[in-house]
Amino acid sequence: MILGETGESRLRGYLYVLERSLRLALPREVTADAVREIESHVRERLTAIPDGGDERAALEQILAELGPPLRVAQAYSAERTIDEAVVTGRVVAILRAMWHVAVTSVGGFFAALGLFTGYAFGVAFLIIAIAKPFMPDNVGFWMKDGYPVAFGIQFPADQHAVGGYWVIVIGLVLGPACLVITHRIARRFLAWWQSRRRRAPLS
Amino acid sequence: MPIDTWQEQLRRGSLDLAILLSVASGPRYGLAIIQHLEAFTDLVVTEGTIYPILGRLTREGLLAAEWVEGEAPHARKYYRLTRLGTKRLADMTGQWQAFVAKIGRLIAASEGGRA
Repeated sequence: MILGETGESRLRGYLYVLERSLRLALPREVTADAVREIESHVRERLTAIPDGGDERAALEQILAELGPPLRVAQAYSAERTIDEAVVTGRVVAILRAMWHVAVTSVGGFFAALGLFTGYAFGVAFLIIAIAKPFMPDNVGFWMKDGYPVAFGIQFPADQHAVGGYWVIVIGLVLGPACLVITHRIARRFLAWWQSRRRRAPLS
Repeated sequence: MPIDTWQEQLRRGSLDLAILLSVASGPRYGLAIIQHLEAFTDLVVTEGTIYPILGRLTREGLLAAEWVEGEAPHARKYYRLTRLGTKRLADMTGQWQAFVAKIGRLIAASEGGRA
C-alpha cells in the first residue's frame, strides 16, 4: 500500500514525536538512525497490504502494534543511556542516565536526588577551595557559640571566617572524595537498575 | 509474585537469546526478525521495543548492522551475528538447554513424588 497525503501526514507526525522524544536522551546520529529504522518498519509493513484497502485503519493498526512513540523512545533511551553510563562510566553519560531514571519512577527520582546531592557537595567543596585564596575573609568555617555551624562562602561576612588556609586542603580532599564516591555509587546503582529493568515486564 | 509477572520475566530473560537465534541462520532486517519471533514464539508484545534491544546487542558487539538500499522501495537495516555473537549464542544455547533439562528433571521428580 502506498500512503496518500493524509497517511503520510499521520506517519510524519508519529516520527516527529518519536524524534523529539529520542533527542532528549540520545545523540543526534543515533536518533536519526532509530527514526529511519522505525520508518522502514512501517513502510515494510505497508508493502504487505494490498492497495485500495482502508489506509487509515491499516496505518493505525501498524502504529498501534509498534507502540506509542513515547514508549518506543523510552525503550530506546533506557537501553542506550543506562547501558552507555554503566559501560563507559563517563560523567555526562552517568548524569544523562540518572536524569532518565529520575523521570521514570518515584524511586528513581529519590535515588537520583541523593546522587545529585552527592555531586553537588563535591563541586561545592572544590569551589570553596578555589575561592579561598581570592576571598580569604568570606570563605571558611562559620562559628556560633564557639562551635562550627557552617562551612562555605558567606556574603557579606558578619564575622571572621575560621580555618585559615586549611580550608583549601579540606576542600581539595573532600571535593574529589565526594565526587569519586558518588560516581562509583551512581555507576553501581545504574548497573543494578539496568539488570532489574531487563527482568521487568516489557511495556 | 503474580503468574503474569513471572511469565513476563521469563519472556524478557529469553528475548536476547531468541533474537540471536533469529539471525543465526543468516542476516535479517528488523521486521523479519519480529515476524520470525512471532512465528515461533509469543515473545513480541510491542514491536517497537524490539529495536532498542537490537541496538543494544549491536553495541555489545554481538550483532552487526548494515543498511541495504535498493532491495525494497525503502532501505532495510539488516542484522547479522558477529563472531562474538556466534560464540555467545553457543554459550547461551548450551546454558539454556542445561537449565531446561534440570527444571525438567525437577518437574519429573515432583510428579513421581505425587504419584
